[in-house]
This record gives sequence, C-alpha cells and structure tokens, in this order.
Amino acid sequence: MVQNRSKLIKLLIGNLSNSIVHSILEKSLIDELHASRYREESLNSLTLAKKYRDKINPTSESLPNKDIEEIKNAIKQKVNLELNLRIKKGYTNISINLIDQELEITLKKLKVSP
Amino acid sequence: MDQIYIPKNREGLEVGSIVVIKPLIERKSKIKIYSYNTKSIEPIKMKIINEIMSYITESIECENIIITGSFLNQGFKFNDVDVLIITDKTLNASKIKENLERKLQIKTDLLILDNKSLQQGLNTDPLYNNMLSKCISKNRIIYKKQREINYKLLDLHLLKSNLMLTNFDNLTGNEKYNLTRNMISILLFIDQKKVSNEKIDEKITQSFKITINEIKENLLDKKEFLTKYKQIYNNLYKRILNNGTK
Repeated sequence: MVQNRSKLIKLLIGNLSNSIVHSILEKSLIDELHASRYREESLNSLTLAKKYRDKINPTSESLPNKDIEEIKNAIKQKVNLELNLRIKKGYTNISINLIDQELEITLKKLKVSP
Repeated sequence: MDQIYIPKNREGLEVGSIVVIKPLIERKSKIKIYSYNTKSIEPIKMKIINEIMSYITESIECENIIITGSFLNQGFKFNDVDVLIITDKTLNASKIKENLERKLQIKTDLLILDNKSLQQGLNTDPLYNNMLSKCISKNRIIYKKQREINYKLLDLHLLKSNLMLTNFDNLTGNEKYNLTRNMISILLFIDQKKVSNEKIDEKITQSFKITINEIKENLLDKKEFLTKYKQIYNNLYKRILNNGTK
C-alpha cells in the first residue's frame, strides 16, 4: 500500500511512543514481571516502527533536522501523557526522566537521528 | 548346537541365501507423555514430539518438557514448535534451540523457566494460562492455579494490543488475530474466566460477530471491526488503569 511521507511519519511516531512507554513501564515493574519477562513477541511496536522507517527517505542516513525535531517532540508529548496518566492513578517507580534517554537510543537505532 | 528359527512362509530369505546373524539392536524405550486437552495429534507430529523429548532428555537435565502452541492444533498451519523446558539449572537456550532446529529442521520457540517463574506466570499472566490449557508434557503437570490480578502487569500486556488501533491497514490477518487474542485473553483473565484457545476464540466470535478465519484471512470490515475493538480496548484500559494500584 502506497503511503505518503507524513502518514508514515505519523505511524512511526505512534509506534515509537508505544515502544518507549512499554520499555519504561517494563522497567518500573522489574520486580513483578518474573516469567513474563521471557515473553518474546514476534510483533511489537519497534518492529513495526522499523518497517515504517524503512519507507521514509532518506533510508540510508538520518532524517533532516526538521523531521527529527518534529518526531522527537511528538513522541515526548505522547509518552509523557501516557506515563503521567499512570502516575496520577498511583503507579510508582515510573521514571519520567528515562524518556530522553530511551528516545535518543531508539531514534539512533532506527537511523532517524545521527 | 544353537538353532535359529525363521518362518517357513516368509517373504525374502530364499533357501540358500547368505545371511549375517547379529544381535537385535535394543529398541529405544518410548518416552511416556501426558496430554492436556489435545484431542488428536497427527502421527507425524507425535514423531516430532517424541524426537524433541528424546533429544532434550538425552542432552540436558530438566524437570519437565512441555510442548504447546499452534503446533498442537489440527492441521499443519503452524509457524514453529513452542517448547518449554522446566529446570532450575542455567542452560544455554540458544545452543539448545540451534541443535534442536538442526536435528528436526523445524523452527522452534524455546523457553526455559524454573518452576517458580512458571507458577508466577500462571498466577499473573493470561498468556501462561492459555499456554498450559492445551499442551503435551513429559511429566505430569501439577501447579496450583491461584489467579492474582496484577493490573500493572496486565496494563503492560494490553499495551501490545494498542498496535491494532494505529496500524490496522498495515497488519496481516494473523497479526490482527494475535492482537485481538491478546486483548481478549486479558479480559477473560480479569473476569476470572477460563483462558484457553477455545474460550478466547469463542469470545472473539461472540463479541465481533465474525469468524476466526475472517480475521486470519484479513476479511474485515474496518469500520465495524475497529469500532468494536476500540470499545473493548478502551473499557479494559479504563478498568486496568482505575485499578492500577491494587
């Protein structure tokens, strides 16, 4: 299915946000996860995000700064919203300060940023 | 003088044939297996199961070997064989998987767990409940199922099903089925209902008014399906978040 660039970026943002929320929540539950830690999911947000990233030009180098900024800001906003929602509901151990770190690692991994 | 008798009416071994007499190779004793909710398994699959059990038993020390997943469903529409090894010892999972795949020439999904982790998984994770609802094992499975609803864990598991909402157009039928199955298994788990493949499929069919094959074959009415999906997802999400601290 042919998709335009902005639609692909939107999908990339959605999946990366989900992946980062998942990763931070997982870290907050490290003592409770036990066996669930071993769940290997063949389909996850990061694999889908990678699929979309591979369709956004330039594919072999990082995206233009303007796109990187747009993606970073949108992901930060979404992840903050999801995590804060949980903190308000009384969740503990959620480290909001992990967002930047997770974001940098993930964007580099997917060659979104240099 | 010792004598060897052979049947008079036989196929082959004509009078005057030259033969070699040697001891009969001791037959490998068949591993006894326990079957849970598996109606009938094709003989070729039983052969594979026996080979898996024999290989693992011969090469490592473990408390139990459990075969589960789509491999046990009728027919041959499986992606891999899910093998669960129960042991308290530290094993090299990738090496075992590699050797097993080389021997069987079938993709395997290997999971190594200790008894405690499996028990905790069964108590808190719908996936583990489903996994052991239909399986074949080397030894009898004796676990006390004491369901513990840990909403934070379920929140994490439900997050996976969120992919449907943003990626509907780019998912295959099987991926859509797996995401729906994940969500419904959490719903059944929270509602203290039995979590098994049959129960999950029954609930999906009943809630979405479609057949499982229609999902797997990606023959869905997007609007209708997503409306229902969102409704179930959002209700479940709210329920989980509101109880997150329990």
